[in-house]
Amino acid sequence: MSKIFGFSGNGDSCTGGSIYPNPKESSLFLPLGHRVDVYFPPCKRSRIRAPFVFSGERFEQKKRASIEVLPDECFFEIFRRLPGGQERSACASVSKRWLTLLSNICQDEFCSNSTTGYLRPEEKSIENKAEDQEIETDGYLTRSLEGKKATDVRLAAIAVGTASRGGLGKLLIKGSSSACRVTDVGLKAIARGCPSLKSLSLWNVPSIGDEGLFEIANRCHLLEKLDLCQCPEVSDKAVLAIAKNCPNLTDLTLESCSIGNEGLQAIGRCCSNLKSISIKDCPHIGDQGIASLLSSTSYVLTKLKLQALNITDVSLAVLGHYGKAVTDLVLINLPNVSERGFWVMGSGLGLQKLKSFSVTSCRGVTDTGLEAVGKGCPNLKQLCLRKCAFLSNGGLVSFAKAAGSLESLQLEECHMITQVGLFGALLNCGAKLKALAMVNCLGMKDLNVGLHLPSPCNSLRSLSIRHCPGFGNASVAMLGKLCPQLLHLDLSGLQGITDAGFLPLLESCEAGLVKVNLSGCVNLTDKVVSSLAELHGWTLEMLNLDGCRKISDASLVAIADNCPLLSDLDVSKCAVTDCGIAALAQANQFNLQILSVSGCSLVTDKSLPALEKLGQSLLGLNLQHCNAISISTVDLLVDQLWRCDILH
Amino acid sequence: MSSSSSPMQSTGRKLKLKSKDDETFEVEEAVAVKSQIFKYMVEDGVSNGPIPLPNVNGKTLARVLQWCQKHADPTITEDELNKYDAGFIDVDQAVLYDLLMAANYLNIEELLKLACMRVADMIKGKSPDEIRRTFNIKNDFTPEEEEEVRKENAWALGP
Repeated sequence: MSKIFGFSGNGDSCTGGSIYPNPKESSLFLPLGHRVDVYFPPCKRSRIRAPFVFSGERFEQKKRASIEVLPDECFFEIFRRLPGGQERSACASVSKRWLTLLSNICQDEFCSNSTTGYLRPEEKSIENKAEDQEIETDGYLTRSLEGKKATDVRLAAIAVGTASRGGLGKLLIKGSSSACRVTDVGLKAIARGCPSLKSLSLWNVPSIGDEGLFEIANRCHLLEKLDLCQCPEVSDKAVLAIAKNCPNLTDLTLESCSIGNEGLQAIGRCCSNLKSISIKDCPHIGDQGIASLLSSTSYVLTKLKLQALNITDVSLAVLGHYGKAVTDLVLINLPNVSERGFWVMGSGLGLQKLKSFSVTSCRGVTDTGLEAVGKGCPNLKQLCLRKCAFLSNGGLVSFAKAAGSLESLQLEECHMITQVGLFGALLNCGAKLKALAMVNCLGMKDLNVGLHLPSPCNSLRSLSIRHCPGFGNASVAMLGKLCPQLLHLDLSGLQGITDAGFLPLLESCEAGLVKVNLSGCVNLTDKVVSSLAELHGWTLEMLNLDGCRKISDASLVAIADNCPLLSDLDVSKCAVTDCGIAALAQANQFNLQILSVSGCSLVTDKSLPALEKLGQSLLGLNLQHCNAISISTVDLLVDQLWRCDILH
Repeated sequence: MSSSSSPMQSTGRKLKLKSKDDETFEVEEAVAVKSQIFKYMVEDGVSNGPIPLPNVNGKTLARVLQWCQKHADPTITEDELNKYDAGFIDVDQAVLYDLLMAANYLNIEELLKLACMRVADMIKGKSPDEIRRTFNIKNDFTPEEEEEVRKENAWALGP
């Protein structure tokens, strides 16, 4: 039999004594109230005055009334009447049940407290302010939950906590492949607590389904941006609900979902503000959905991305006719679209506003198809073609001729293109072409084309030929003749180039080069850098010589003497030594901001004073893999150059 | 209220109620209809025999009816009523919860509001720990969950 110790003190609201029926609870270690006698460990004996009933196993529950006996609807009535956000936040932290109940109360269900009679006058005015604040929530808070930290508890806490602080505007949930603890329950809490939600992104959250999204659709009418990625449980029904209830929807992204044509049709019909849509890897979506979407949003849709879908030429035909407002178009991996699709798209003459077009891995991009696009899209400014294996030199040239407004052209892994195509494009392009890039095009060889040049391409300012192994000296020299007005030059990874090809290019450039990237051009020597410094030193701002093993101190001396504007220099893995660094430091008018000597094993601790001097203007310094620089030197630099971000 | 009844009905008719521990109460209709449940019963004419209330015990029912009586009294002033309410609801938690649940079950709006406001006032100004102590609630959050909730609601909880 347990004995009852009759301690004195008010027993009305028992703030002291054992409050945990089971002393073995781990929550025992929460701080106890000030009335507890700390030398008397909490145990089954209680200190209440109220009479209790010895009824065997019911002893624990009867010893003090707990509010937990109240059913949910009573809690609802209590929580509705909490005066403000502070009380709600405090209640949210009490227990899981309280958190769940609180988070399921909608914003408009909270009472305004004007009839309580218990409030003092000054409290009343505060309540009114809190009420106003809630009505005018702008929804500007952002929350991002990832991986293990994405849980329903956190979502419920967010739903309660953000409500009186401006409201949640943007929510991003990124699950992980292991069990994700966000379910519809959490999403429903967000829907009820955050009516001002504008942007919702759900990535890889397989436990979320239609239920959660229905609630979002019903409560969050201000939704503008929705991102559903790898949510296989979400079906057309949810999308239909969103379409009907969220008229402000402007951005929609669907990736790896079970959404089908009906969902897209509903979106097209109901979302009259839809500006941007991206659909990837949704096996149930086909021509019907795309066609109906495009025809309904003809005058509003500006950005469209279609990737890994089973659509055919029909969709492109519809696009070519109805895409009247489309400015940005991205098509990736559409195996069922053929040449005819691109031809019809271009010939439809609907894509008058198309400015930027990017195509990857579409077998339909052939000479005919691309030419039709060039002719049918008079305002096309940017074209990017990746992995278009069927485009030949002739097609590229015809396109260049047709696309009079083209400003930027980029070709990646288009292996049928050779330097014939490249030069042909440069010769035949419109007067506006400013930037040309060819990356990883294995068809490039170094045959001497032997063109007589009618006129060089004076508009080109930026030229980038990267990792095209066949590109050699003759082609580089030709480039120089064709593009005399270059400002930016990127020839990274062109291992076949030597001084013999590059020097003529430097001499042909009439305008001053501003940014030059020669990383990976292992055969270039100091001569090239000296020439560069001499001819273009007055304009040169960025120079990248990463991996140019033959570059030595002479280059650094040339740079120091001639390049007052240089702010970004990369000599990683070059053969520079302490003398070169010292030369850099001694230069006048030198305002280097970023310097990389990563992998330069000949740069030693002796460079410390030079680096300190350079550090006066440096914002970034890369000393990684500098084996000859000791840790103490690095530490000294880190201490002294407090403005500089040092990698080591 | 049914308008086809004779004038005597509103003052004479009584309802019989039986609590869950078999206590019976007789109460005038005018008083009983404070509860929406009884109001509909009276209107629909279903008031033969004692109405069983399996969710309310005798003690609580007595209190509730006392409250209804006071509030049905046409002669009482608003000030007196407020004073009465303040005293009425100043009870210990067990009684308070019984009253709250009874008011909810019997659908007595004003009494429910009174009881809920009392609880809300008990919550006001307290930290989560204090709330748990006041109401004898177990903290069933794991440390991680508690931290998550605290982070989102830290502004309200103070240092």
